[in-house]
Amino acid sequence: MSVTAAFMVTCLGDMFYPEVGERIVRLLRRLGVTVGFPPGQTCCGLPLFNSGYHAEAAAVARRTVEIFAGAESPVVVPSGSCAWMVKHEYAGLMATPAERTAAERLAGRTYELSQFLVRVLGRRRFRSAVAGTLTYHDSCHLLRGLHESESPRALLREAAGATFVELPGSDECCGFGGSFSVRLPEVSTAILDKKLASVEASGADCVVACDAGCLMQMRGGLSRRASRVQALHLAEVLEVENHLPEGSGEPFQGSPST
Amino acid sequence: MTEPELATPFRERAERALGDRFLQEALTIATTKFITLRREAFAELPEGEALRDQARAIKEATLQRLDYWLERLVDNVERRGGHVHYATSADEARAIVLDIARRTGARMAVKSKSMATEEIHLNEALEAAGVTPVETDLGEYIIQLAHERPSHIIAPAIHKTKGQVAELFARELGRETEPDPEVLTRIARVELREKFLQADLGISGANFAVAETGTVVLVTNEGNGRMVTSLPRVHVAVMGVEKVIPSMTDLAVFLAILAKSATGQKLSVYTSLVNGPRRGGELEGPEEFHLVLLDNGRVRQIAGPLRESLNCLRCGACLNVCPVYRQIGGHAYGYTYPGPIGILLTAMLNGPASVKDLAHASSLCGACMDACPVRIDIPRMLIELRKEVSEGRIAPWSERMVFGAFAWLLRRPGLYRLGARLGRLAQAPLARGGRIRRVPLFFGEWTRTRDLPAIAPRTFQERWADLEREARR
Amino acid sequence: MTSRTEFFRRIRAEVERGRGAAPGTTAPRPAQPRERLDVLRRELSERWRENLDCFGREFERVAGVLHRVGDAREVPGVVARIAAERGMRKVVAWPGETLGLDIVTPLIAQGLEAAAMPGAEVGPAERERLRALAAAADLGVTAADVAIAETGTLVVVSGAGRPRSTSLLPACHVAVFDREALVESLLQMGLVLEAWHEGAEPSWRGAAINFITGPSRTADIELTLTRGVHGPREVHAVFVEQGIRAHRA
Repeated sequence: MSVTAAFMVTCLGDMFYPEVGERIVRLLRRLGVTVGFPPGQTCCGLPLFNSGYHAEAAAVARRTVEIFAGAESPVVVPSGSCAWMVKHEYAGLMATPAERTAAERLAGRTYELSQFLVRVLGRRRFRSAVAGTLTYHDSCHLLRGLHESESPRALLREAAGATFVELPGSDECCGFGGSFSVRLPEVSTAILDKKLASVEASGADCVVACDAGCLMQMRGGLSRRASRVQALHLAEVLEVENHLPEGSGEPFQGSPST
Repeated sequence: MTEPELATPFRERAERALGDRFLQEALTIATTKFITLRREAFAELPEGEALRDQARAIKEATLQRLDYWLERLVDNVERRGGHVHYATSADEARAIVLDIARRTGARMAVKSKSMATEEIHLNEALEAAGVTPVETDLGEYIIQLAHERPSHIIAPAIHKTKGQVAELFARELGRETEPDPEVLTRIARVELREKFLQADLGISGANFAVAETGTVVLVTNEGNGRMVTSLPRVHVAVMGVEKVIPSMTDLAVFLAILAKSATGQKLSVYTSLVNGPRRGGELEGPEEFHLVLLDNGRVRQIAGPLRESLNCLRCGACLNVCPVYRQIGGHAYGYTYPGPIGILLTAMLNGPASVKDLAHASSLCGACMDACPVRIDIPRMLIELRKEVSEGRIAPWSERMVFGAFAWLLRRPGLYRLGARLGRLAQAPLARGGRIRRVPLFFGEWTRTRDLPAIAPRTFQERWADLEREARR
Repeated sequence: MTSRTEFFRRIRAEVERGRGAAPGTTAPRPAQPRERLDVLRRELSERWRENLDCFGREFERVAGVLHRVGDAREVPGVVARIAAERGMRKVVAWPGETLGLDIVTPLIAQGLEAAAMPGAEVGPAERERLRALAAAADLGVTAADVAIAETGTLVVVSGAGRPRSTSLLPACHVAVFDREALVESLLQMGLVLEAWHEGAEPSWRGAAINFITGPSRTADIELTLTRGVHGPREVHAVFVEQGIRAHRA
């Protein structure tokens, strides 16, 4: 397989979860993907956009489109919210038809990690780096923005060496919401408490998410209450096991919905 | 909500609600139940998604020609002997209803549930004019006795315990009784039956108005809608202009999804189609029927940013799924309409400045849009409102400074990376084991209840060179 | 006060400005509803048994009680039994010409205090008296013009000899219907409503069309379900297999 992909690290990923980025790069390489990392990345602009600073968000978006314009390779993003921003909101922020076209082209080849693994590479069988029971939290932008709930579950269900349980209320928000978490911290925390109660009641050893924001929120709560439950990024759970049958799992029919 | 209440900042109102133990329990039980019932109802309805698409399309088509459909409605209502009145503002709407009440000689008016009449604060005006308004929807009756506002669009007294209701009935009606919902309902039935039979004036809202036939449609479960539109001599329906729909065929589409979205019922118990005043030979029915068409900020949105919110059916589904509403309930929002759609409607009625805090009372999770029977994109409009608040300089300058600085930094990758290094230095005394437990200023809001990750010893960008070398090996 | 002209001028202006904001289509309306309805009714008459069963299931889901009799003459017996089981004595009913059968005479013969509503216009004093009678009654008997199987809904049209109060004020409502009333779905009901409103309306028809889906209910106090808030606490439907002869909506 000779696939090239460009990695969009995201601001939270770069600053706080670089090990997640490392694992993704190594994972993709082991799957035969050549991974590029366009330099000069900062942020996709979602925090500016969500707080209504659209002129500023547009400037940041323009920059991002330029950074990733080079090759036509797929762009892999570790957070559903950033992938959503690029795929859904970039084109609308652009001022000229040329910019819009460039943004749309980028949108068309941008994938959140689980989508890229399952729907583009057709890989579903991995080994779990974590023993015990896994559960999954649907991050809002991935679930409702990108209509993606199956790929992460397929990966976790089939991860060898761990069991998977559904999380009751998995589709309920964790309370992060970007600046919401510090504008209305009491409400954000109350929502988080509800989520973590559900996580702890599920019996899982680890809750997995595909978004750095959700992870920051959930980890922040779990560690504050010294819970034995971990919150991990999908990339922290998956490991490539080369003796698994090649081509196990067909790519999903059609392309991921945008 | 009274003025002093609104003087308390939203965040404080929200905190107070979070501390109200009974409210928390009531909200969890009620919203969870509504969510489950709605999900079950749509699971049984294979054509549900298609119907939602159709319902949305009908609403959009109607807005495209709102003037045409409203004129047909007016013509048909008048053809049937009804009277139509036009209220551009809440003031005008109140004046119209008061005038009708005065000419009727009514001392008392029975009301079936109408958010439109709440919105224009009709009850206060009626009282001031010497006409006693009696709310007859049980939930509305309860909060009227308690001098409160509704806390949920369809279940107004969700925040009250049966004990509180029993106390209320004892205090306001002189009826001592056990806190048993059956018993309390029976008391309300008897009290209100009297009022229905005595009242000269009945006031309702309208869930829909069918343009091709001049029919006003009321959807209720208790039967008060039927009472209010059949027993008093005069019936007044107050209706937002966006409630008009073209035909009976369209009506069937909405009926197929409205109750399911609100409570999970296939249909509410009573769907009452009112074709004007009493016809010859009928025993009951009003002698006079009045329809008050209400603008109050709606018309401006036909070509405005909040246009989509005109499609709202007032079902309450978005409230039930909203993580914020589920935690704080309706009163904390401070205005007539709470929850996700409530923020948009408040902006529609009172302008963007009124929602400078409320527009941020959302994690933008999108559950509201998922649940909305007509697929209103509430998150998009909340972001639009935030944009109006930030670009319209309604947001505090300190916030605008911070975001401006952040945006500036994001376009300068060298300074951005330098910022990371400086951050690492600054966090050194605070970070333990990769976690930060307390931070001063802005991010202190986070660390009061949650740990914060520390900036990594080496960012991903700083590690990339090593990763490249790894690949070449 | 805003005039009609001014009100519409503003709306027209905004509609112009908002033109093309979002496309949409209204539901396609049947060209000749009455004809379409006749065709539909013929089709439905082939399936009345399944539709009745479906109606029964849905009606019971919303706490309605379905009774089936062969012949219209059996209806008074059913009503009398319902009343006796509940210790009820006062009955008001639609008159024979709208109900499709004379129910008052047999009920009186069974010892109940039954009264028929008038078939034509009466004066205000008489209307007051009849309203009080209905309010004091335990049980009210009406016809149902339509029974919607999908939702267990009875549709009752008001008019001369078809007072609204009969199905609203007494604690128990009994509706009598036959196979011609059955339709399958809400969407079909949309066709019925189109047909009813097509062209000139019959003089006997009143201004209210009421869909009744079970007894009056609320869950406003702590989400606890209670019945009989303002409307009836019980709803019964009596299906007459041989049919009832009454003028139809």
